[in-house]
Amino acid sequence: MWDNRCKIAVSGVGFSKVTRSAETPLAAHALQAVQAAVADSGLEMSDIDGLSTYPELPATGHAEVDGVSIVSVNCMMAMLKLPDLSWHMQVGSVNIGGAVQQAVNALLAGVCKYVVVWRAMHNPQGTYQNLPGSHATGATQFTGPYGFGGPGQGMAVAYTRWLEKNNQNREKMATLAVTQRRHTQNNPDAYFYGTPLTREDYLSSRMVAHPFCLFDCDIPVQGAAAIVLTTADRAKDLKPAPAYIAGYGQRLHFEVAGRIGSLSSYMEGGSSSSKLTWERSGFTPKDVDVAQIYDGFSASVIYGLESYGFCKEGEALDFIQDGRMELDGELPMNTFGGSLGTGRIHGLWHIIEGALQASGRAGPRQVKDANVSFVGASAPIVTGTTFIFVGDPY
Amino acid sequence: MSDWSKVTRPIPVPDEWTKPFWDAAKRGVLELQRCQNCGDFQHPPYATCVNCISTDLKFEPVEGGGTIYAYTIMYHTGDQRFAGAVPYASIIVEMDKAPGAFLPGNLLGVPYAEAKVGRRVEVLFETLNDDITLPQFRLAQTTSTA
Repeated sequence: MWDNRCKIAVSGVGFSKVTRSAETPLAAHALQAVQAAVADSGLEMSDIDGLSTYPELPATGHAEVDGVSIVSVNCMMAMLKLPDLSWHMQVGSVNIGGAVQQAVNALLAGVCKYVVVWRAMHNPQGTYQNLPGSHATGATQFTGPYGFGGPGQGMAVAYTRWLEKNNQNREKMATLAVTQRRHTQNNPDAYFYGTPLTREDYLSSRMVAHPFCLFDCDIPVQGAAAIVLTTADRAKDLKPAPAYIAGYGQRLHFEVAGRIGSLSSYMEGGSSSSKLTWERSGFTPKDVDVAQIYDGFSASVIYGLESYGFCKEGEALDFIQDGRMELDGELPMNTFGGSLGTGRIHGLWHIIEGALQASGRAGPRQVKDANVSFVGASAPIVTGTTFIFVGDPY
Repeated sequence: MSDWSKVTRPIPVPDEWTKPFWDAAKRGVLELQRCQNCGDFQHPPYATCVNCISTDLKFEPVEGGGTIYAYTIMYHTGDQRFAGAVPYASIIVEMDKAPGAFLPGNLLGVPYAEAKVGRRVEVLFETLNDDITLPQFRLAQTTSTA
């Protein structure tokens, strides 16, 4: 087990308003989320001495403009002018989970006391994922000419491979979409709060990129989420019940850019990340009380459940049936609605829900007696990170 | 069947790693990057062998057929250049003689619903302009399996 098991905790969470289009600049969303997280922790903003984020704009063919379409560490520093700032970090390889893990490392190193981590996501005007323009360079020279690279296609190819190799049926995914949308109705911060979804809605919705229909894809939104992390001894003195980090991992596999469709790359990414998390935390999948599995595209849940070891390869769509992912099910899952319910804020919301469930702070969606709370914070390929939070650090 | 007649494809821009692939395609030959140390083929081209890290890489002709490893049917019409062909099949092909090398392409000449994992395909070449010819795929015309 990890020497630093349960030495760092999440002690505050916050959200901005989530809107479909960019009504206010993204920096305002990020600031609102950060202020809410600090207020939730009971700290003053001036107590914050560490900043960390992953600022990437995943939409292709759109400009990254700081404060408008991304919110970098520099942008946040300029807004907050923190008097005691002593550490900051912007990661580039493993999405927002990497920014959280760097914050953990900085706190363990003792170079700061209270870190705020945010993820701000912009919804640009027009098509979210654009194919290359008149010419295709780099990795896109082998994909763009074939009309590859539009919404969901990169994930869709591996999903068809999985479905047909395992003789499975995409209609089973309706259970995920419908259950998560029901979970969403317990999450007032989510984009689809107040909007139900039926199995018939799912099965009759328009296709985007087969096997993905509209409700397999998280809706692009403008919004931000934030968390405050601190050391376990400091967390005990703060207002919220701490969610201790028992272990974390990041994917140790990388696929050459432009090599799309490889199902094994998802599995290797997820298993390499979760192996570290299981070993460091001392837990196994059987110990998990509640799980948040990244679902930006629905098929990510399949790769997550299988590569993290919750079920065998080829069985994930059967695994989620029969009420297993309900709040009182065998493995309550994506209890905040997932990205399919909140809108596309990437994995920080999964991390936040994992922490809230561990610390008993999930309100109407709280899983009874939950302690061991697992998070797969992004698609297992390329950006995969995993975490385990506990409320009771045994 | 998808109507490709009105589609304007983005033109690939060869670079120092990929030029031999496009030069061969222009001659009507499929050439893929092969490690001269371990013998593995790989695609897309990369600076090193993704199997053994050797930098001794050359492009070699790959003959024969392949199978559809994975595919997607595109319905979204966000890109107007491709909207006329929607729905269309984008496929990933693994060639018999270059396992592990994944070639993107479209499935031409048959309805998009013919795209299925494991179906046999063969290469054909689609001229885009004087400089660039695209390797593409159609269902195998013969029944042999490599």
